[in-house]
Amino acid sequence: MEFPSTLSEIVSSPDNRVQGTTRSESPSPGGSLEIRIDRKTFGGSQGDLLVLQDVALAIEPGEFVCIIGGSGCGKTTLLRIIAGLETDYKGSVSVDGSPVTMPGLDRGMVFQEHRLLPWLTVHDNVAFGLAHRSREERTKKTRHYINLVGLDDFEYEYPHRLSGGMSQRVALARALAGCPEVLLLDEPFASLDALTRVRMQQELLRLWQAERTTVVLVTHDIEEAVYLADRVVVMSRQPGTIREIVPVGFVRPRERTSEDFVAVRKQILDEFFAPELVRPSALGIVD
Amino acid sequence: MSTAEQNQTIAWKDLAEALRGRVRTQKEELVLPDWLLGWIVPVGSLVLWELLARTGVLPPNWLPAPTSVARTIYEMGAAGDLWKHVGITLARVLAGFLIGAAAGTLLGALTGYVKIARKLLDPMLQSLRSVPSIAWVPLFLLWLGIQETSKIALISLGAFFPVYLNLSVAVRDVDPKLLEIGRLYRLSTLEMIRRLILPAVLPQYIVGLRSGLGLAWMFVVAAELLGASSGIGYLMVDGQMTGRAAIILASVILFAVCGKVTDWIANVVGDTALGHRAR
Repeated sequence: MEFPSTLSEIVSSPDNRVQGTTRSESPSPGGSLEIRIDRKTFGGSQGDLLVLQDVALAIEPGEFVCIIGGSGCGKTTLLRIIAGLETDYKGSVSVDGSPVTMPGLDRGMVFQEHRLLPWLTVHDNVAFGLAHRSREERTKKTRHYINLVGLDDFEYEYPHRLSGGMSQRVALARALAGCPEVLLLDEPFASLDALTRVRMQQELLRLWQAERTTVVLVTHDIEEAVYLADRVVVMSRQPGTIREIVPVGFVRPRERTSEDFVAVRKQILDEFFAPELVRPSALGIVD
Repeated sequence: MSTAEQNQTIAWKDLAEALRGRVRTQKEELVLPDWLLGWIVPVGSLVLWELLARTGVLPPNWLPAPTSVARTIYEMGAAGDLWKHVGITLARVLAGFLIGAAAGTLLGALTGYVKIARKLLDPMLQSLRSVPSIAWVPLFLLWLGIQETSKIALISLGAFFPVYLNLSVAVRDVDPKLLEIGRLYRLSTLEMIRRLILPAVLPQYIVGLRSGLGLAWMFVVAAELLGASSGIGYLMVDGQMTGRAAIILASVILFAVCGKVTDWIANVVGDTALGHRAR
């Protein structure tokens, strides 16, 4: 991962000054994504490492898409590109037709770590991105989302008093409070225990159904992907590219032990361990 | 569960609780609370010292009794000398600390935030830090004279380094993952500093200020021992010259009390600034 090396570089990088794609205030449901990444590399000591190649994906407004792949397949990088945190790549990403050049309030993001600010209460963490709103609106929105993730009793607690699951809920509330068109989740439940994870998955579905935002969730947990997604995007590694897109047709709430569920799970699992297909792109021959 | 069984359970509970209670009272009889334990040795030593001094085992011009040290402090207080000397020392510490901390804050923030400034300045400042403080005294006296300026300069130097080091490292080590949250919400550079960097570095900055204040007290002793006509350090030299150990001991106690009080104030101010967050 290349991080800007000093604070001043991070802080004064150009995306902090200019406006990104602004959210359309039209009542029609937004949140369509158009992703076409030809090539994304990271510079390293032994030359450039090709992370993503020929990733093309269109996501409908309100769709729930899970991207699944092993570590090092570039799935997190893909999400960071959509978020606008990575801009050095060949290709283009657009939200509702406007190209992404930097982070924007039309996209909310939750990371694997909660990344809450330890000096702010739950309330102030959730309100972090709402500084430009009026005070009443900010308080109302913040309360609404704290209530939605079920943390009313912890509104004025500090993050160090919360459990992992609770912290991740606050992070979700913070991402949702900006009313994004697209919610980007980078392995948000990976560090939680199995029981909490299942509960958080149910909560996430409930939030998604209440908010109708587009959700792109990156995970390495096949069961999680099949439980949540409308479509599961299976990625292969080195270079990271889309191997298969598996639609999950059956209705929610899904039963993890049902025949349909197990069948889709097996299909994805087989896809992972199938012998690598020789694709023209993998050989560097671009059609 | 039947009523009889319930009653029996309760009875067992009572018995268990009674037993626990007895064990606890036994413990309390044997062991004193920690705060009281901490007092035994110092108070005992004082009493022993007083007894030895009164019976003449310890020569009074060498180690006077605690009561006579206390009387010395009281007499100085009544005569008004005490307040003059304590006041001037406090003023020196405060002035030196403020100047040193201000310089440390400025350079610490600069070297933490701007990589090129760090590369240019940090190696030099780090090597200056390894010079023992007293080694600067002749140079400061030569440059700045024997008056207040050289003393305050020396104290500033002492307060500078902890503030500089702590702030520089804290700013450099601000978690880039938290800064990314700022990028996601498109904070401007100023907002980034105000809403993320300042609160993130505050705990370590406060640590730096506190140790800077502690060092300011150490350096004021050095400055006042090496040529002053007032201040607690001067009292010490005076006591030594005139062979009055009671005044030297009184000065030691005054330094300890003043240092402790300012540290306590700094602690309270620091805790207030940090609020309820995790420490």
